[in-house]
Amino acid sequence: METTLIDPAFWHRIHFAFTITYHYLFPQLTMGLAWFLVYWKWRAFRTGDEKYNRAARFWAKIFGLNFAVGVVTGIPMEFQFGTNWAGFSKYAGGIIGQTLAMEGMFAFFLESAFIGALIWGEKRLGPRNHFLAAVGVSTGSWLSGFFILVTNAFMQHPLGYTVAPDGTLALSDPGAYLLNPWAFVQFAHNQCAALVTGSFAVAAMGAFYTLRGMHAEQSRLYLNAGTLVGLIASLLVAFPTGDSQAKMVGAHQPATLAAMEGLFQGSKLADVTVIGQPNISQKRLENPIPLPGALSFLAYGTFQSYVRGLDEFPKDTWPDNIELLYYSFHIMITLGTIFILIMAWANWKRWRGRLGSSTALLWVLMLAFPFPYIANSLGWMTTELGRQPWLVYGLFRTEKGYSQVVSAGDAIFTLIGFVGLYFVLGLLFLYLTGREIHKGPDAPTTPKRQEVPA
Amino acid sequence: MIALWYGILAFMLTTYIVLDGRNFGAGILHWIVARNQDERRQVIAAIGPLWSWHEVWLVGTGGVMVMAFPRLMAASFSGCYLALFLILWCVLLRGISIEVGGHMSDRLWQEFWDAVFVFSNVLLAVLFGAALGNIARGVPLTGDGVFYLPFFTNFGVHGNVGLLDWYTVPMSLFCVLILTAHGATYLTMKTTGAVHERSVRLARRLWVAVIPAFVIITVLTWFVRPELLAGIALRPVAWATLVICAAGAYAMVNGFRYQREYLALLGSTFLLFGLLMTGAAALFPVMLFSTTDPNLRLTAADCAAPDFSLGIAAAWWFPALILAICYLCIIQRHYSGKVNVSKDNQGLY
Repeated sequence: METTLIDPAFWHRIHFAFTITYHYLFPQLTMGLAWFLVYWKWRAFRTGDEKYNRAARFWAKIFGLNFAVGVVTGIPMEFQFGTNWAGFSKYAGGIIGQTLAMEGMFAFFLESAFIGALIWGEKRLGPRNHFLAAVGVSTGSWLSGFFILVTNAFMQHPLGYTVAPDGTLALSDPGAYLLNPWAFVQFAHNQCAALVTGSFAVAAMGAFYTLRGMHAEQSRLYLNAGTLVGLIASLLVAFPTGDSQAKMVGAHQPATLAAMEGLFQGSKLADVTVIGQPNISQKRLENPIPLPGALSFLAYGTFQSYVRGLDEFPKDTWPDNIELLYYSFHIMITLGTIFILIMAWANWKRWRGRLGSSTALLWVLMLAFPFPYIANSLGWMTTELGRQPWLVYGLFRTEKGYSQVVSAGDAIFTLIGFVGLYFVLGLLFLYLTGREIHKGPDAPTTPKRQEVPA
Repeated sequence: MIALWYGILAFMLTTYIVLDGRNFGAGILHWIVARNQDERRQVIAAIGPLWSWHEVWLVGTGGVMVMAFPRLMAASFSGCYLALFLILWCVLLRGISIEVGGHMSDRLWQEFWDAVFVFSNVLLAVLFGAALGNIARGVPLTGDGVFYLPFFTNFGVHGNVGLLDWYTVPMSLFCVLILTAHGATYLTMKTTGAVHERSVRLARRLWVAVIPAFVIITVLTWFVRPELLAGIALRPVAWATLVICAAGAYAMVNGFRYQREYLALLGSTFLLFGLLMTGAAALFPVMLFSTTDPNLRLTAADCAAPDFSLGIAAAWWFPALILAICYLCIIQRHYSGKVNVSKDNQGLY
């Protein structure tokens, strides 16, 4: 179906895309930072060394700001299933509702119970319980990610369902639904990517303070931890998790794989294009620089494997925005490769003991931290654009999913509202985070509580 | 199984309103009980540490609703599209105002976020009240089991109704009143000094005002949906919830009389809980009543997911609830008693 600017489906999609993309800027950092906090709290608890406590305290403030924005932008996501995607809720709610409800009951209760204790309760809790609060919040945030990815995996590769007499989906095999292999591959890939965001942020903070000549002890800690985790996570994002994800797409969504690579005609020895612009009407890539056979190898394990091209699929099952899908995927891959190179360079310097003295490297690390956010967002765009034109792959089309009673006018109105609110929220977040960074990790801790004079 | 999940959904929504209701109430009273910045920090600190824990009940309710009653979620959320987004935006603004208000000790900064805090809480209480009114009165369901509710039409309660009419507006005001009283009771327990004095005085007066308001609402409900009141008389579950109300009211009166503030809060919590659950019991099995044609109503069985899904969900829901209660017990220890706020403390709690 041709989408136009007065089509409600278009506006409902933009509505969800905007709110989810904005929302996910925050959880990716909290999920990535969570285990840094746990590690520092653990070191502080075991060694009693105050520097680990200072690191944990400083990053807990950054974590707290991200967590708060993540919570308030996350609540509208759950409700949009009902408000904007009523058709989808009615069709698949009985299945995806299981994990959405589990997320609330198992993950959010855990996270929100201990977040206050983690950020403000250090004195009241003592070192052991404060460490446990960090473990609780971290576990909660990763559990929440897992349940959402099971939900998404069902939309990508539906398993464990039957079609009820009224045409809606019903759960038939909870085990198959919860243990969907797609969910595990995607969870591994996504969590490694969150760790990339977290470790680049930690390393960038260390580089910033080092270049300014401030907080020497703390910045060394951040640089060491950030670059070590950064290298491991960047490698794991590519292999095996990203690789398995691509094979999964090749196996279950072959039309998507062809669109991601702009492969119009199927072939053995199919190329991966490093650069090139898809031209849909001419069905070709312009100015391509190909790596021969790479796609065959990546998707199916040998260079001789046949990769089906878009021409072999009915046109109404092609992803409906091939250009954006193609660019999302390619920029993500390119950025991922650059992350590995940056972190390999940083670890080589660290091994030589010169991590803190290489000005060029410090500048690169400091300026690199926004790019994992871009790569994460583009990865999700690849996933979600690649799923089109289906809401539940192969079963339920996107244009059937939106709320029929909600007009494009209503959707545009609330979209404008969200754009405005989130813009202000973004400014506020940057300002408050900037203040914490300016105060730095060595700022004196808040004085002891006193009774308010009655 | 369907009745069980109807009960669970009602329980979760009720728990959310009872827990977050004290935050709404405290927010509505923010400018009245707290006259200067020190006092206002005290009010914010009283609700600060746990607001996100309370809000999780709302998210959990949404999750349970889509799982157990997908058709209800689809029909009601899209039908109340704009009102629902108003609620979500207020929830967002309220959360932000609590989180960032204390980040700087600048007077203008704090006054601004206090205003956001009051505004969003007032609107939340009004909107949730109107929502309850609409659930009781019914919505203009059409034959396909969907509806679209404008903010207002002719303010009548039959046929093509709007969100606001002569029944839902008083209902909304009643909710504001009772949640304010509940919030005042909570502040009585958590605060000290002048805020405490004012909260005690207000809580008593507000609860007295609740009595005639409750009579008026009951009479109005009898005019709009007489079968609801008859339903209470016929349903043993509703007798049990009415006993909870009575016990709550008794505990609250005693709490105020002997200055046992914890008992008063417990009483008001149970009173509210009992009232809302009585409402839910009276409505069962109808989930969405139709104002256009009673035959078009959606019952719990019409909306529910198949029994197999509901059974699976029951198997994990109860353990999850027990876990959640354990977390609450652990953290409650750290937040019990009166709040302490230091002027120098940039943090909230």
